[in-house]
Amino acid sequence: MERSSNHEIAAALAEARPAPRQAFMQELDQRVAAGFPRRSRFSRFPLAGLAGRIGARSPMRLSFVGAAVALAAIAVATAVIANSGSEPRPVAIDSGPTTSHPSVQGSEGAPQVAAPESSGGVQYSEVIPFAAEIGSSGSSRAVSPPAVHSSETESLANGNLSHRREIERSANIALFADPADVSEDSTRVFAAVHDANGIVLHSTTSSGKGASARFELLIPSARLGDALAAFSSIDEVRSRHQATDDITEPTVTTSEELRGTQARVDSLLAQLSSAEVESEREAIAAELRAERDHAARLRNQLARLHQRTTYSRVLVRIESGPATESGSSWGIGDAFHDAGHILGIAAGVTLIGLAVIAPLALLCLLAWLAQRLYLRSRRERALDT
Amino acid sequence: MSEAAVADVESQRQGGLDFERLYRASRDDVYAYAAGLLRDRTAAEEVTAMAFERAYRKRSRFNPERGSARAWLFGVARNAALDELRRRSRQVELSADPVDVASVPDGADQRSELRLLLDAALAQLEARERELIALKFFAGLSNGEIAGVIGVSSSNVGTRLNRTMDKLREACDGAL
Repeated sequence: MERSSNHEIAAALAEARPAPRQAFMQELDQRVAAGFPRRSRFSRFPLAGLAGRIGARSPMRLSFVGAAVALAAIAVATAVIANSGSEPRPVAIDSGPTTSHPSVQGSEGAPQVAAPESSGGVQYSEVIPFAAEIGSSGSSRAVSPPAVHSSETESLANGNLSHRREIERSANIALFADPADVSEDSTRVFAAVHDANGIVLHSTTSSGKGASARFELLIPSARLGDALAAFSSIDEVRSRHQATDDITEPTVTTSEELRGTQARVDSLLAQLSSAEVESEREAIAAELRAERDHAARLRNQLARLHQRTTYSRVLVRIESGPATESGSSWGIGDAFHDAGHILGIAAGVTLIGLAVIAPLALLCLLAWLAQRLYLRSRRERALDT
Repeated sequence: MSEAAVADVESQRQGGLDFERLYRASRDDVYAYAAGLLRDRTAAEEVTAMAFERAYRKRSRFNPERGSARAWLFGVARNAALDELRRRSRQVELSADPVDVASVPDGADQRSELRLLLDAALAQLEARERELIALKFFAGLSNGEIAGVIGVSSSNVGTRLNRTMDKLREACDGAL
């Protein structure tokens, strides 16, 4: 035989090209036409189709979906945590444009009791301060101040806070009523406050065409839910907002400071008993007075903090006309504030999410690359065996 | 223009992958490549089916800017074939009985004789060399396409092919 040339070998190779069986090709054609249905032993199960579709997605797309789901989960968790405690959202208790009475200045101001009396478009309020330091009383209705028991204050001062958080609650509810019903609804508000052992800090009512009423209340926090339900049942609820403020930190700080002051008082007393020189005694006594004054201030501060958690501030408005948002506690400025607040939370959540996801994603990427390199190297090695 | 080339051009034009057209244009070539590399028809059928199934499921990941659809498909097919080769290497050593030239029928012409010798020579080649032959002469890929599939330069493919062809020719001539 003659020596073969590369050309002849190439031609022979082309002729020797393996051809597939007809039956195999037909079967493959059918599978292609059917879109390669998966033959899973789990296909009987209801979620098998979903799992198959998920599995058919590209890993990159699945990674994105996974990251988005994780980010959403972190966002929800953060939002829940933010709303449940540390974010202060005090309810604005405004004095209102029609009232001529002093508004309550924060929770540290003296709560006052006002009795209702409707008188043809003229607002009134009978202010009865209950706080001991104010002391004057001209009301026909006696109301006990939301005093804090000394044992509770001592408990706080002794640092027994580890088992609970100090949460201040507030609420704002607006009711819509027929002008003729405002007076009756006001009476029902007072009844609901009474049932809840609450306190009316300030109230104004007006009658006539644009009749309205406004109540600034202190409701025992333990009965806040019942009281709000009672207010909501009085008439049609136009809006209702609740807020919480975690005041654990100032409470703990104050109680710790009080303990330190008490310890200094004890120390000074011991020094005083052992002092022999008159001038020394006088100096220690002066220091002792100062420490005792400081301790008294801290006790008062602690009592006020505890009062804020014991009683919840509630603002109830009864309106008969269109919603008076400009005069209410929520307006365009609040909308911007809320928008900024939400954006801030969203940015924070995104940052936290990225901080969590980025290292994980990097690790996954490295693992994926390593796995690909390993697989490629093993495949290439298969050609060398 | 071949059907495979038309499928490629169409894919490029559409910016996506016309899988049906690519399948019809390439199924015989993929099978021929797998059979040439594995030298086992049953395994070649499995690899062909596996290759098209993988390509179908990954069709959204085909990027026309990174190469032709045909080269991409053969990349997928190569992975499937190497997986099969890897699996089989763990089980049984691939071997082919040498062809006894004396067993060639007397009436066979020179071309048939060459084919038999070639078959035996192919069996003696290393898998890497046999893959080159399968891609070039069975699947009909250009040197550039082969370079894209196996991840070397085009000139390197040419050099390796020449060397392998020389080896085949020497094996055939030596057997005569």
